Amino acid sequence: MEAIWLYQFRLIVIGDSTVGKSCLIRRFTEGRFAQVSDPTVGVDFFSRLVEIEPGKRIKLQIWDTAGQERFRSITRAYYRNSVGGLLLFDITNRRSFQNVHDWLEEARSHVQPHSIVFLLVGHKCDLEAQRQVTRQEAEKLAGAYGMRYVETSARDAINVEHAFTELTRDIFALVRSGEITIQEGWEGVKSGFVPNVVHSSEEVTKSDRRCLC
Amino acid sequence: MSLPSGSPEREGSSGALPQLECPSSPLGMDPDPPSTGSPVLSPDSSSHDALLSAPAASPADSENLSPDELELLAKLEEQNRLLEADSKSMRSMSGSRRNSGSSLVSSSSASSNLSHLEEDTWILWGRIVNEWEEWRRKKDKLLKELIRKGIPHHFRAIVWQLLGNATDMPVKNQYSELLKMSSPCEKLIRRDIARTYPEHEFFKGQDSLGQEVLFNVMKAYSLVDREVGYCQGSAFIVGLLLMQMPEEEAFCVFVRLMQEYRLRELFKPSMAELGLCIYQFEYLLQEQLPELNVHFRSQSFHTSMYASSWFLTLFLTFLPLPVATRIFDIFMYEGLEIIFRVGLAILQYNQTDLIQLDMEGMSQHFQKVIPHQFDSCTDKLILRAYQVKYNPKRMKKLEKEYTTIKNKEMEEQIEIKRLRTENRLLKQRIETLEKESAALADRLIQGQVTRAQEAEENYVIKRELAVVRQQCNTASESLEKAQDAIRELQQQKYTEPFVTNLQTQLEQSKLHEAELQGALKEMQDKVLDLEKRSTCLPDENNVAALQEEVKQMKLRELETLRSFREMQDTVTDLNQRWQHHMSRGSSTGGGGGHWKESPKKNAMNELQDKLMTVRLREAQAQAELREVKLKALQLESQNQIHSKLIGRNDQERSALQDRLQMLANQNKALQAQLNEMKRKQSESDCKSKEEVMTVRLREADSMAAMAELRQKVADLEIQKEEGLIQGQLNHSDSRQYINALRDQIAELKNEIRQMRGQKAAPSSRVGCGGGGTNYQDLCLASPTSAEGDYLSSDEDLLPSPLPPNALYPSLSGQCHPSAGLDSEGSTDSEAEERVLTHPDPQQLYGSMVCAEALDN
Repeated sequence: MEAIWLYQFRLIVIGDSTVGKSCLIRRFTEGRFAQVSDPTVGVDFFSRLVEIEPGKRIKLQIWDTAGQERFRSITRAYYRNSVGGLLLFDITNRRSFQNVHDWLEEARSHVQPHSIVFLLVGHKCDLEAQRQVTRQEAEKLAGAYGMRYVETSARDAINVEHAFTELTRDIFALVRSGEITIQEGWEGVKSGFVPNVVHSSEEVTKSDRRCLC
Repeated sequence: MSLPSGSPEREGSSGALPQLECPSSPLGMDPDPPSTGSPVLSPDSSSHDALLSAPAASPADSENLSPDELELLAKLEEQNRLLEADSKSMRSMSGSRRNSGSSLVSSSSASSNLSHLEEDTWILWGRIVNEWEEWRRKKDKLLKELIRKGIPHHFRAIVWQLLGNATDMPVKNQYSELLKMSSPCEKLIRRDIARTYPEHEFFKGQDSLGQEVLFNVMKAYSLVDREVGYCQGSAFIVGLLLMQMPEEEAFCVFVRLMQEYRLRELFKPSMAELGLCIYQFEYLLQEQLPELNVHFRSQSFHTSMYASSWFLTLFLTFLPLPVATRIFDIFMYEGLEIIFRVGLAILQYNQTDLIQLDMEGMSQHFQKVIPHQFDSCTDKLILRAYQVKYNPKRMKKLEKEYTTIKNKEMEEQIEIKRLRTENRLLKQRIETLEKESAALADRLIQGQVTRAQEAEENYVIKRELAVVRQQCNTASESLEKAQDAIRELQQQKYTEPFVTNLQTQLEQSKLHEAELQGALKEMQDKVLDLEKRSTCLPDENNVAALQEEVKQMKLRELETLRSFREMQDTVTDLNQRWQHHMSRGSSTGGGGGHWKESPKKNAMNELQDKLMTVRLREAQAQAELREVKLKALQLESQNQIHSKLIGRNDQERSALQDRLQMLANQNKALQAQLNEMKRKQSESDCKSKEEVMTVRLREADSMAAMAELRQKVADLEIQKEEGLIQGQLNHSDSRQYINALRDQIAELKNEIRQMRGQKAAPSSRVGCGGGGTNYQDLCLASPTSAEGDYLSSDEDLLPSPLPPNALYPSLSGQCHPSAGLDSEGSTDSEAEERVLTHPDPQQLYGSMVCAEALDN
């Protein structure tokens, strides 16, 4: 099942426990929604191909992490090799929104010397009646940290594709512009085997990476 | 025969646990010793039967056992084999791992012909449970072996409790108390409860009994152990316990597991134990499956990705529940070691597959393939697990290593943090220093610039200094020279050069003086000029006149004053008189006898009055007179002023007249000059005319001379011809002929004289002929002029200067028409010229002057 892909991006999905990380990833990778799923103990791994432009496919390797704080000793090892991340919070759980800052701090302190492009995701947007976090304040917070904001629902399959492809596009643009480069010993971005596409030299040679997180 | 499901059993065991359960089980009859020993099967490893041979192949165990026990063991093995087959059939019935959980409860379903074997096992386990202490002390190895073969489902609750030493715990009494309390982890626990065995019958449904008891136990534990609180994953362990036993017992067992089985360390917030486990596992992997380890590393497939859940949930979330429960049986007896063993066994079993897969493939393999690999051959897995080399000492050592590494890491982390802050501070310092250095660089540049400027200035100054020095040198030289000169001069004070020098100086000064005098003269001239001009201004005379006037005015004023005084005197005199008169009058009147002497006195008075009036009139008249005189004086003075004005005007007039005269004189002089100039001009005109005349005369003369000469030539030719002819004719006649010719000539001369006389006579009479010559004009003019002697002199002079032969040509020219054409036009002019040439120039000049004078 070796598919032809241009790049391989590694993404990490973080957020408080029970905000729906595994469900979102499962919806994206498997196209189905499980009413209940095991709490993630440690780290799970998923992958999927995304076509960001006709003929341009990106392979996404997605790390699903345990939300409980004590698992961070395990999960923090996965920041370093990720180029992008979905930071989830539950729009029906204000606490999870308040912890967004802590998650960013956590990521920031463990990603060095690299950086991660984050996308803020307000999950469970189908539960509008139980909403505790307004879209405005979430957008404001995302803006303050230089992130995009997307509201998703794994159950109703709202914006799930959009969230992942947007993040992928953003990373792709940065790779294209040379701000993110493929580096030896770093798994965040890997070049695929595409005979048709000639990689510009700058994508490979440039070594400095902007701090995005 | 899926009769003994979880719940009824729990109900059954809710009373007295081991005691009650033991009699319920059909353990009463002793199992028969096996006649055939262990059923050794073919060495085919792929068959699950081969696995079963492994435990039997432990001779050490069997040697230590009594034949009675050996028999029992064989029986058990037989039973196991049957159970294995049973579970295989079960697997085909329930595919999913969750469903298989329920099958666990009904795992004891077996065909009726196997029931006795099952009964044997039960009897054995009943005995074990009853004689637990003894078994633990004496038959521990057999017990271990039996547990590895799997604890019968019905005995698990009690055996786990016994193994965990959790039968009699003081914490059990607290349980009901704990349930009343609330835990900070409650929310989190509740969220995870629904996700723990969600498909298991016991935990299905929102408000199912399973979920409730699970929540209770989790909450109770989080209260007992505040440090650990609640950790995700632990609910699966508790869930498994709850499947076997009531919540209080499960709680006790869980507390024991946490305390005694390293689980507490695993679930601690730092999860340090998990890291250690993974480290140890990685070591084992590296040691025993080096190739796979390399592959994992190359694919960056971290151990934590698959192994963390193995350790945290003891395979409960990884493998199907029956398999996991078997492992849990062993875990209860042997602890975490079995997790390492099983993990390595799984990896070993899948090594060939995994090595060919990439990361996703491996991930898929772990998620989809491995969990169900051992559904029907749990014993095989366990057998393999026990083949894994596991060195507890080594593990201890690794633990130490790990702690040191962790400590080091911690230290490093701290160091890194410290370094980061330091770095930040240093960066700040660098920034400030950079700023400073920039400022310094600026200053340096400025300094350099100023230094350059100073250097330039310095250079300029040096140059100036050099120049000054040179100047100084030259100056000193010249000073020396001057001193020398002075010395020299002092020595030879009055030498010649000095004198000459002085002389020249004197001359120069004289020149200067002359110049100054010239300038002085000029200045004087200017002064004079200015004085002249000043005369036009009111001069001293005028001032004097005015002063005179003023004096006169004053005099007049004095006069008037005097007259005024006189007048006053007269007035006072009159007044006195009047008073006198009046007093006299009054004295007479007052005497009363006024009328006595009245006729006389009245007349006197009257007279006196008259006199007075007269005098008054006189005074008045005098006053008038004075006034008039004053007026006269005034008028006089006015007159004087006027006269003076007139005088002044006269003066001006005379001055103007003088100027007029002067101008007239000038005019005259100029006119005289003009006249003279005109005269001179006319004179020069005359002269030029005269010159022209003389030139023409000369021309005529020369023409005449030429004609004469031509005449002569002609004459001579004629004579020559005549001579020739005469010679030819006769020489003798020549004398006569000459004489004749002489006569002829004389005659002709006479004729000419006559002609002349005739000519002069008619011309004087007629005056002016139409074709009269200039000569005649001149002659005619002469009688009109005052000097008549000119003509006479002219008459006398005319013939004399004319040479006799000079006239011949003209005459001969008339005779000879051949040459006449030329000379005819010029006869008049010739004559005129002759006349003009000959008169005395002085006389001519005189006449001309007269004419001029007349013109003037």
